[in-house]
Amino acid sequence: MFIRIEKGSSVSISRQIADQIRALCLAGALKPNEQLPSVRQLARELAVNQNTVLRIYERLSAEGWLEMRHGDGTYVTHRPPIWRMNGQRQQFADELQQLVRRGLMLGLSTDELRELLDQALASQAEVAALSHNAQEPSP
Amino acid sequence: MSQPVVVLNSVVKRFGAHEVLQGLSLEVRPGQTFAFLGRNGAGKTTTIRMLLGLLKPDAGSIRVLGLDPGKHEIEVRKRVGYLAEDQQMFGWMKVEEIVRFMAPFYPTWDHELANRYARQFELPLRTKIKHLSKGQAVRLGLLLALAHRPELVILDDPALGLDPIMRKEFNRDLITHLQGEGRTVFYSSHLLYEVEPVADMVAILDHGVLVKQAPTEALRDQVKRIALSRADHQEFGSALNALDVRLSGEEAVVAVDNAAAAIRALEAAGCTYRIIDLNLDEIFEACVAGRKDNHDSGPVAPAAAGVG
Repeated sequence: MFIRIEKGSSVSISRQIADQIRALCLAGALKPNEQLPSVRQLARELAVNQNTVLRIYERLSAEGWLEMRHGDGTYVTHRPPIWRMNGQRQQFADELQQLVRRGLMLGLSTDELRELLDQALASQAEVAALSHNAQEPSP
Repeated sequence: MSQPVVVLNSVVKRFGAHEVLQGLSLEVRPGQTFAFLGRNGAGKTTTIRMLLGLLKPDAGSIRVLGLDPGKHEIEVRKRVGYLAEDQQMFGWMKVEEIVRFMAPFYPTWDHELANRYARQFELPLRTKIKHLSKGQAVRLGLLLALAHRPELVILDDPALGLDPIMRKEFNRDLITHLQGEGRTVFYSSHLLYEVEPVADMVAILDHGVLVKQAPTEALRDQVKRIALSRADHQEFGSALNALDVRLSGEEAVVAVDNAAAAIRALEAAGCTYRIIDLNLDEIFEACVAGRKDNHDSGPVAPAAAGVG
């Protein structure tokens, strides 16, 4: 499970980790029934407070992404809770709306805004391709 | 409820006419990793020296593990592990010699544990201290601070002078050997982003008073900047409890300590505003900015004054 933390960012460390675990579940990099590292292991690996990792696992379990089996470990659930994404999608749409308004206020044209969106999508595709290659080393 | 491990109550400390601590109060709960932040000269090391009984407060009271360190200095030192900022050790001693030298000072010294840390920290036992790398010296300091199984560990800017990889390693050691064993940690630093991954609670000291204390997770939700029109700021700014105000163009950008309350006030007033999330450096800056006595950061609107 590859997770990277951006230090000092305006996004809290716990949200960075939780977002990445959700993304890994959605992308299928973490498969249903797959076991996650223990709280201790992940805390040590990321050099992050154990309480923080525990709270993340608890939150993701409450959301239906993970399942903490008592005395056994933490696993990915059978089906990621896609329905939970609806609220977040709405929030994303609102944020995008705000962003577009700011862009227009800065004097960007609609074409320029579209171009920026295309660029962002293209760079995401690159990142995805890179991490895909990293996960499946050539034989 | 278990009693707090550290309590400072309205502590004042003066050096001559200079008041280094101006009524500092704080509390550290058992098992907590408490990050004590401040710029250089904010009073961090002075506070730590008082926790160890090396300095006495001019007013106020201090309790460490229920004891007054000014009166029970030896007892406190026995039960507290201390890693000093830029710790000076006898350079001519070998690592194994200083470990043997330190042991008799502590009745609870655990030789097994000292040996285990020496192995885990990969310390070369037969090397002289003056030939250790910076990272090895910090780990040796940590070994010496931990081998007597202290209930409270005080770390005074331990990451100072460590490169990013050694810092991460140090944080790992802290997580495994201190948090993993349920110890209370009082961790002083001047870098918020350095302590964020490991701290449960963050306290920011500036010019001898605590300007902010919050659970690490809550810090970003509480401290934000809010941009609003200058006119709205003139009218409603006083309701925001601003830490700091910056004027740019038609906008006033206000740093607030309690974002939820500020947003409620602006909603109630029907203002349009924009919320700006801050990174940790900006949060730190916002918390200490309003108290800075310099005027080079541009004009400050009247609403920023008189808050306190």
